[in-house]
Amino acid sequence: MCGIIGYTGSGTGDVLDVLMTGLSGLEYRGYDSAGVAVANSSLEVYKREGEVSALENAVPDSDLDGLAGIGHTRWSTHGPPTDANAHPHTDDDGRVAVVHNGIIENYQALRRELEADGYTFTSDTDTEVVPHLIRSALDSGADRETAFRQAVQRLEGSYAVATVFNGSETVYAARNESPLVLGIGEDGHYLASDVPAFIEFTDRVVYLEDGQFARVNPSGIVVTDDQGAIVETAVETVDWDPEDAGKSGYDHYMLKEIHEQPTAIRKCLRERVTELEGSIDVAELADLEVEGPVQFVACGTSYHAALYGARLLRERGVPAQSFLASEYDVDAVPLPEGSLVVGVTQSGETADTMSALRAANRAGATTLALTNVVGSSAARECDHVMYIRAGPEIGVAATKTFVSQQVALAMLSSVVSGRGSQEFAQQLRALPDQIQQVLDESTAREVAAAYEDADAYFFIGRGYNAPVALEGALKMKEITYNHAEGFAAGELKHGPLALVTDSTPVFALVTEGDDVSKTLGNVKEVEARDAPIVAVTDIPDQVSAYADHVLEVPSSGPRFTPILANIQLQLVAYWIANRLDRSIDKPRNLAKSVTVK
Amino acid sequence: MESVTAVVLAGGEGARLRPLTHNRPKPLLPAATTPILEHVFDRLLEAGVTELVVVVGYERNRVQAHFGPTYENVPITYVTQDRQLGSGHALLAAEEAVEGTTLVVNGDQIVSSTVIGDVLAAHDESAAATLGVLARSDVGSYGGVILEDDTVTEIVENPQDDRCYRLNAGVYAFEPAIFDAIRRAKPRAGEQSLTDGITALLESDADVHGVVSEGLWVDATYPWDLLDVSVELFDAGIVDPDRDGVADTATVHESAVVREPVAIAPDCEIGAGAVVGPYACLGENVTVGSNAVVERSVVDADTRIGASATVVDCVTGVGVTVGNGTTIPGGPGDVRVGDRVFEDESLGAVLGDRVEDQGGCTYVPGAVVGSSATVSTGATVRGTLAAGTEVRP
Repeated sequence: MCGIIGYTGSGTGDVLDVLMTGLSGLEYRGYDSAGVAVANSSLEVYKREGEVSALENAVPDSDLDGLAGIGHTRWSTHGPPTDANAHPHTDDDGRVAVVHNGIIENYQALRRELEADGYTFTSDTDTEVVPHLIRSALDSGADRETAFRQAVQRLEGSYAVATVFNGSETVYAARNESPLVLGIGEDGHYLASDVPAFIEFTDRVVYLEDGQFARVNPSGIVVTDDQGAIVETAVETVDWDPEDAGKSGYDHYMLKEIHEQPTAIRKCLRERVTELEGSIDVAELADLEVEGPVQFVACGTSYHAALYGARLLRERGVPAQSFLASEYDVDAVPLPEGSLVVGVTQSGETADTMSALRAANRAGATTLALTNVVGSSAARECDHVMYIRAGPEIGVAATKTFVSQQVALAMLSSVVSGRGSQEFAQQLRALPDQIQQVLDESTAREVAAAYEDADAYFFIGRGYNAPVALEGALKMKEITYNHAEGFAAGELKHGPLALVTDSTPVFALVTEGDDVSKTLGNVKEVEARDAPIVAVTDIPDQVSAYADHVLEVPSSGPRFTPILANIQLQLVAYWIANRLDRSIDKPRNLAKSVTVK
Repeated sequence: MESVTAVVLAGGEGARLRPLTHNRPKPLLPAATTPILEHVFDRLLEAGVTELVVVVGYERNRVQAHFGPTYENVPITYVTQDRQLGSGHALLAAEEAVEGTTLVVNGDQIVSSTVIGDVLAAHDESAAATLGVLARSDVGSYGGVILEDDTVTEIVENPQDDRCYRLNAGVYAFEPAIFDAIRRAKPRAGEQSLTDGITALLESDADVHGVVSEGLWVDATYPWDLLDVSVELFDAGIVDPDRDGVADTATVHESAVVREPVAIAPDCEIGAGAVVGPYACLGENVTVGSNAVVERSVVDADTRIGASATVVDCVTGVGVTVGNGTTIPGGPGDVRVGDRVFEDESLGAVLGDRVEDQGGCTYVPGAVVGSSATVSTGATVRGTLAAGTEVRP
């Protein structure tokens, strides 16, 4: 889990600029330490604990002339975030520098072997075995490329690695189960974990496949397979506006992205919904045929969206279930013939989800990726893909992508079940304005002011509101660092009620159609313990009497009102985190796209 | 290319356009189907502006969310004016964001790029300011400038005497001296206006030039002016039916009739037998039900016009519902705004954001309905109604 960048170009002196720009574009993947290595006659390596800005301060102002370079922003898996554990890692006397994203499962065995041969390790990372392996091959007479290949072939696990050598203008790279994309520019060539790292310089890309190697020179790129045979590659053009990544006057990307939700939903719905005919038509899924049950695999926020999507399908008579992707493998889930397995993953790179999708693929299921990133691993490896079209999301806490996932899943449920209606299409088309209405009228900021110093926050909801309760709690945890839990409303009395006190506000999602009287019964259980109640509702007449605060949302029927309720919870979490002065866009210990298992 | 920074003043609400400004500032109200401010940006870019500094204040989230960090690859810097205390005060908010000569325009008036280009070409740094002015007969409602050759001698808001005034087009090139001049000028009713700042420049014997241009200049003072603004944009070719007519992602039923000129934004749906136009502007994601008629109207985004409804001379906010069979037959009618009555305006109705008309209703010309009002089935609507009102038959 990390981001890597590499560059080699004909113009000298700009290597460092490209690397630093790339690292800023990759910071969403992790940011507890960062580093760069620039190759000229020797290797210049700079690395620092902290965000990329800390690295910028550590790099000398004088132009670092170089032939080629690599950079890395890290999210710790092996060893704490320190200067020593930051990438790039080098061999003993600095002839080879390596950056790596992924997990090398056999690193302990390799490390013991290398230490026995006299190589000295200076970090706790799994990555450091790679430069020593390369050096060991060089010492036994191999040329640079052969040494790199020999080293990589000894690795077990997941990796995207990139290497530079002193006195060389070539960057060598390889991938296995971690993302790596090559960029073809006018004056140079790039490689990175993700396109935003170099989108400022080029939009022409080549996606590397698992098991492939790349030799990146200023003059060109050569991709080879694991046997060394040259592979023909297709150059694709990505459609991604690099300028979408500014905060545009908002204090945080998260708030910007919350306010972008009406636009994101418009894009998600575009040319897919025709209200006057009551039809839902997703062009990408024209040849999707589903005979068996549907299983969703996902993690985190995407899992909450998957819970919502599975419920929509079940309501329409299609057997559907959601699984945490990280448990899917070990759960031994039976996969009946004709099953469709849907991976819900914003980045399309989430390691746990990819692993579950691959398992489903091997078992013969039809797979579908529901993702935001065109050309991502999930998009390329699944039989079908449906894009949520939310645009780039920089804030680590997912907001607009969750809503876009919900809306895309609503359309998917129509496509899979073959059922749509004018009312359903109309409700979907009304969402952009209704979300805007919530943003225009929300009083979440006042609610946040009232409860910023609570001991804990609980969220309850029933039916379509249950996943929203889980998501509300997750947002609160992620960005406020406060304890928060979400429950299906009925579960409260089976344990969690013991935690409820007068300083644990309970956010009750009560919207029309979800058995209001039962949920209100749960609210009364809480009220009896003196807990403050914040009701999120479209029926304030029925609910206000039990609530200390009401966050009102427009009505959009039982399926869609919960989507609107979620917007209120995003805002509450945001404003509490804002009052607590948290690092909202980059919460501690978290990364946007989790590409390690 | 030379870099040109423009400061765009977009912080004020534009209270005379209520109820349409309930949730967003005047610069975001639609001229045809796109916000006024988007037209302003287009004209600035045509004139060669390479960087935008936008002063935002009232409902600034809406401006920032609409445009994001760039417009057509031109970077936007947002500057916040927390309290809206006049146009001069707004410009002061941008002081730190600019240096040297700065182009300043209003974000709520559409001015042709010729005027902007003329100001940029005429200004030289020996003058403290250069103003774009137009020869117009209706100066009394706006700002007037007295010009001797190319030198401004006086600048007056709403001049009522019969001297020869030119219209202040609201397009300025300023040297940094303007900032101190604004601070020097005595606030009126707690507000610092740009006009008073320019007067302070004149009093300090600084050179202020005026350049007379010709070209489009439109401003909406009251909600119904948005109808005229849209017509002017069609007639001036700024909204071009060939280019802006029917968006690719709009769906028009084969039996619907589109009478040009129209502007139909992305994601609109027009049902069977509907008649849309002439001079109909439908914002994005608008639905026009079967057999409905929409004529000479500005219908903003996400509005739904029910089957067999008639909508003529109408301005709607966003997310409005006009129910099945409702009739808004169109002006002329008397419109009441505060204590003033405007007689015989061509106005069918102004419907604020998210007004819900449940169908079968009739609007007496000149009706103004506040945001989120509910009009029950079969009601007759007349006069001016506050936000959230419920109208029963």
